[in-house]
Amino acid sequence: MITQRNQAQPKQLLDALEATVVGQRSTLESLLHALIAGGHVLLEGPPGLAKTLSCRALASAVGGSFKRVQFTPDLLPSDIVGTRIFDQREGEFTTALGPIFANIVLADEINRAPAKVQSALLEGMQERQVTIGLETFPLPDPFVVTATMNPLDAEGTYALPLAQMDRFLIKALVDYPSKEEEARILERFGGEPPEMPRDVVSIADVVRWRHEARAVHVEPKLKRYIVDLVAATRKKHDYVERGASPRATLAIVALARARALVDGRDYALPDDIRAEAPAALRHRLAFNYRTLTDRVDPESIVAALIASVPAP
Amino acid sequence: MRLHVRSFTLTAEPQSLRVGDTLKLRIAIRVDENVLQLSNVTLPDLSGFDSLGDERQCASAGHGTQCLETMTLSPTVPGDRTIGPTTLDAIDARTNKPSRFATNAVMIHVAALPGALAQPLFRNLVKPILILVLVGAAAYALLWNFGRRSRRSMPIARPQPETPRGPAPPQDPLPGMIAALRADRARARVNAIRDELRRRVGAKEEETLADLLARRAAGDNPNLADALRAIERAAFVDDADLEAAIDDALPILDRLTARTTPPTTGA
Repeated sequence: MITQRNQAQPKQLLDALEATVVGQRSTLESLLHALIAGGHVLLEGPPGLAKTLSCRALASAVGGSFKRVQFTPDLLPSDIVGTRIFDQREGEFTTALGPIFANIVLADEINRAPAKVQSALLEGMQERQVTIGLETFPLPDPFVVTATMNPLDAEGTYALPLAQMDRFLIKALVDYPSKEEEARILERFGGEPPEMPRDVVSIADVVRWRHEARAVHVEPKLKRYIVDLVAATRKKHDYVERGASPRATLAIVALARARALVDGRDYALPDDIRAEAPAALRHRLAFNYRTLTDRVDPESIVAALIASVPAP
Repeated sequence: MRLHVRSFTLTAEPQSLRVGDTLKLRIAIRVDENVLQLSNVTLPDLSGFDSLGDERQCASAGHGTQCLETMTLSPTVPGDRTIGPTTLDAIDARTNKPSRFATNAVMIHVAALPGALAQPLFRNLVKPILILVLVGAAAYALLWNFGRRSRRSMPIARPQPETPRGPAPPQDPLPGMIAALRADRARARVNAIRDELRRRVGAKEEETLADLLARRAAGDNPNLADALRAIERAAFVDDADLEAAIDDALPILDRLTARTTPPTTGA
């Protein structure tokens, strides 16, 4: 068991996560940046690439409450948010809170549940409160939803509408590890279930990092760069039907600040913006049918759009 | 950009030509990914050639993309020239590490223009005139030299005649910029030095510091890499931290100029 109490630096949390999840450094960085930026994360990648493991490791390392919901076609909104139950002994209704009431909620295979269930979760993500019956319950703080999605099996899935995708601060793509990393996975675990990092930092540390991140300095020309980047997605484009919303602008600046903080800086750099822009933009763009007919990788469109804007 | 690069070649057609003729230089890249364009391609040195056109296109090719850049060039000087290699900086998808892919180089033979002067007219008329001009120039040079020696033998000290100068070597603007920063610790001075360092390493508009360091734009000069980092910090820190960032950057910039300034020769 990996137990490291009272360590409060973001980089130490990242190192602890890497001890459990091998070969997914960029995924873990995305999770950490989103945690500090105060947003929700959508992880997309083929099965078996440690998406769920990454989320579980983060929750375990942070030491807050953690709930996991496996999204299935027969799931109901009340299975997420909770419901009113009649207590026969007391002779009155009581509220049973659902799994959404946790610091870190893992929504596994979010696209396998119908739209009304997705909506129930996404409403909570946006409002940070849930209404059950006539009562409204605030969600814990911090509250982070990490959702996973498998892009390969389209059968029996319900695609998330763009408006709902927009609720996620980032969409991180999880790719296969390199041969060297895969060899390290074999060496380190050899078939045994990986050990979870326990309570490496506390929820209070995460709250403190969020305050510190908000104080990270962003030069005015970097802010203009972010605005230019997002504006570039709204220009007439052969493959992009609709560009990103101002929420993307806010997301990029928050993520850039988080990245700077993790890197031990109190100022953001153009690198921070360039590094975070793809994850903040890719799920906020609507690509047209020609992307499919011309078999163009949307990721290369996002990369080209970002590269088209001169860095300050 | 993360890429599986299958092939990356440079070809020229024709490889033997005369000054003023045209040749097609083709850079072909085949990658496994579907991409719209490939950035971070660094073209080879094409000095000695006039560029008459440049055409780029990327098209889907089975499982991946084939990108082709065709440049139409015209040599301006005769001789044997080696063009290339062309390089591509990308994350190698096989190793997940920043890599520099390079093409082969091509050898071009450029013959001098045969031109009209090689015709009988040159032999019969222009050649004698040219000989007369050369003889005249030689005689003038002898007389001038004689006069110069006579003047030198005079006992009165005179200023040395100025030796004919070639084009002045380009001045390194960096020491002056650093001095200006030392005198006036303003963000604008920092930004000017940052622009100059980026120009030195051939930074493209869209390239950030991480891009430059990943493609080893500073080469084997650790001082240049350090200077890029230090000046980047000074360019983006909060105003309250600017002084400290400049304090940290100045010695690094001094080290850089000490290394890059050519040594002065004694009298």
